Parts: sequence; C-alpha cells; structure tokens
Amino acid sequence: MNYIALALCMMAVTYGVRLLPSFITDKIKISRKAEKFLNLIPFTALGALIFPGVLSVDASRWYVGAIGAVVAIALSCIKRMPTAVTVIASVLVTMLFFI
Amino acid sequence: MTRRKQFLLGMKRSIPVMFGFIPVSIAFAVLAGEAGLSTLETILMSVFVFAGASQIMAIELISLGSAFFEIVFATFIVNLRHFIMGTCIMRKMKKTKLHEKLICSFGVTDEAFALTATMPERELSPWFMYGVIVVTYGSWVGGTVIGAFASNILPAQLSNALGIALYALFISILVPSIRKNLRLILLVILTAIVNSILVWIGLKSSWSIIISCIVCALFGVWFIKDPSEPASIDGDDADTFPKASEEVSQ
Repeated sequence: MNYIALALCMMAVTYGVRLLPSFITDKIKISRKAEKFLNLIPFTALGALIFPGVLSVDASRWYVGAIGAVVAIALSCIKRMPTAVTVIASVLVTMLFFI
Repeated sequence: MTRRKQFLLGMKRSIPVMFGFIPVSIAFAVLAGEAGLSTLETILMSVFVFAGASQIMAIELISLGSAFFEIVFATFIVNLRHFIMGTCIMRKMKKTKLHEKLICSFGVTDEAFALTATMPERELSPWFMYGVIVVTYGSWVGGTVIGAFASNILPAQLSNALGIALYALFISILVPSIRKNLRLILLVILTAIVNSILVWIGLKSSWSIIISCIVCALFGVWFIKDPSEPASIDGDDADTFPKASEEVSQ
C-alpha cells in the first residue's frame, strides 16, 4: 500500500468533514429551538467524550481512570483553578497506579 | 483585544492539550513504525491528517491487512463528529471571512472544540483559533517526530498516566461551565449514561458519541428550562473560565 497516498486520502475526508460547516452556517437561518439545540451540543458532546472513555485509561483497571476523573472534577469545582493545574494533578494521581 | 493578544491567548489555553497530544502522538509514531511505515510516512501522516483517533485506527487496520478504501472510509466515519463540532464553532464566528474560517476548520479537533465551545462568542476569533492550531498541531506533529526517532523517550509510568490528560482537560472545561445549572449537570450525566449503554451494546465509540450527543441535546431543548440562555455560556461561570485559563502560564 502507498502510505503517502493513504495519508492524503485520509486528509481529504478529515478536512472535508471539518470544512463543511464553514460553508453552511452562514447560509441557513435557524430557529430558536435549533439554536438552543446547538448551544447544548458542547455540553453533551463533552459528556460523551469523557464517559465511558475515561474508564479505559488503564485497559484492565477501570478505577484508575475513574479516580483520575474524580480528582479532575474535584479540582475543577474550585473557582479559578487553572486548567493546567487540574490536568497535571490528575496525571500525577493516575501515575501512582502505574509505579 | 488585539490580534496578537487573541493569538497568544489561544496558545496559552491550549497548553494543557500538549500534555495529551505529545504522548499520544509518540505512541502513534511507535505503532506506525511497528506496522511498517517509514519514518517519513509516519510523520507525513500526522502532518496531513491531524486526527489522533483515526490515525491510530488506520495503523491498526493496516496491521490487520485492511484495504485502502476501508481505511479511508473508517477515517471518514470516525471524524464525522467534527462536522457537529465544527458547526458549533463556526456559528460563533459569523463575522469571520470565509478564507479565515477555512484555515480554522483544519484545526477542529475534539480538543479545539472543547476549548472554544464554552467560550462566549465575543472572545472567539480566528486569531484565537490560530493560536490553538499552532500549539495543538505543533505538539501533534512534534510528538510524532519524537516518537518516530526515539520511541522510548517517555518512561512507561508517565506515558500510561498521561492517558488521563485529555479527559482531565475535558472535565476542567466542562465542570465550571455547568456547575451552577442542575438541569445541565443532569443532562451531561444522562449523555454519559446513554453513551455508555450504546458502547455496551457494541456500538463503535465514534458512532455512540455522535448519537448520544445529538439525542441528548434534542432532549435538552425540552428539558433545559431557561428560554433565552439554554446554557450558562455567558453567565458568571463564563467569566470564571477565561480568568482561570489565563493563569495557565503562571
């Protein structure tokens, strides 16, 4: 297989999908309900991106990811906690399970 | 805000993404090498495609001996969710010129979406996105280069633990923006449950994410009460989030 050609075709479909919204979002006038729907997508999409994927951080021990997630949730509840601190703390706690 | 400030802010907020992207791209490069791709082919795949999940999937499919078009089609399916995510981002960039939007579109990853999706419209500009793209694309390609030349650069303990980094990032973006809205919290939990069920019954996660996020957002149109502001995007918490992120570099 020609892997460069493969990469180019993968690029075409990936960028194609990402490109499309630029053309249509201006053209279509959407209703209030549709707008509400689109405003909710970030929250539901993030929920779906996090769970249950986070449980597979360690393939054999689901609780490793769960504990890392709990640490991240707890720290995110603190007002003005920098994102980087949350991420680093969560990584460090998770690392305890791999030592 | 000047363009320069927007650009730098975009870069600053993307720093946590590096913790996730660098180890994943190193892992991708190592897997690609094992599957028989040359160093150049491995690096070019990251340069051209810039889509973590589908690149790693492509390597798995190559190892399994899948056909060329199967891999391209699978890439298309895995990245379909970026159409929804891109729509959310581009809707907030109405005043942006088309050619600027087209550049921004290249960088619509899950992580760029997470960084921009809960931002108030007035803050999201093409230059902010360029900052995000420089850091996310740079760390993706950079990590691939590192992995292609030095596969054992990260100790195993660290690279395993870094698997949590992108999830922690998603959480640290999501939690502050829903904290004060009980119904929104319930909606997010519902999405997680629906997504888990779909995965449990055997759906590929690329499909389950799309389906659960659309179905639950539709449900949310009815379930979330506040008529004008369905989510606290421009509320108090939106102010908390940028301030919190500005401390990232300190």
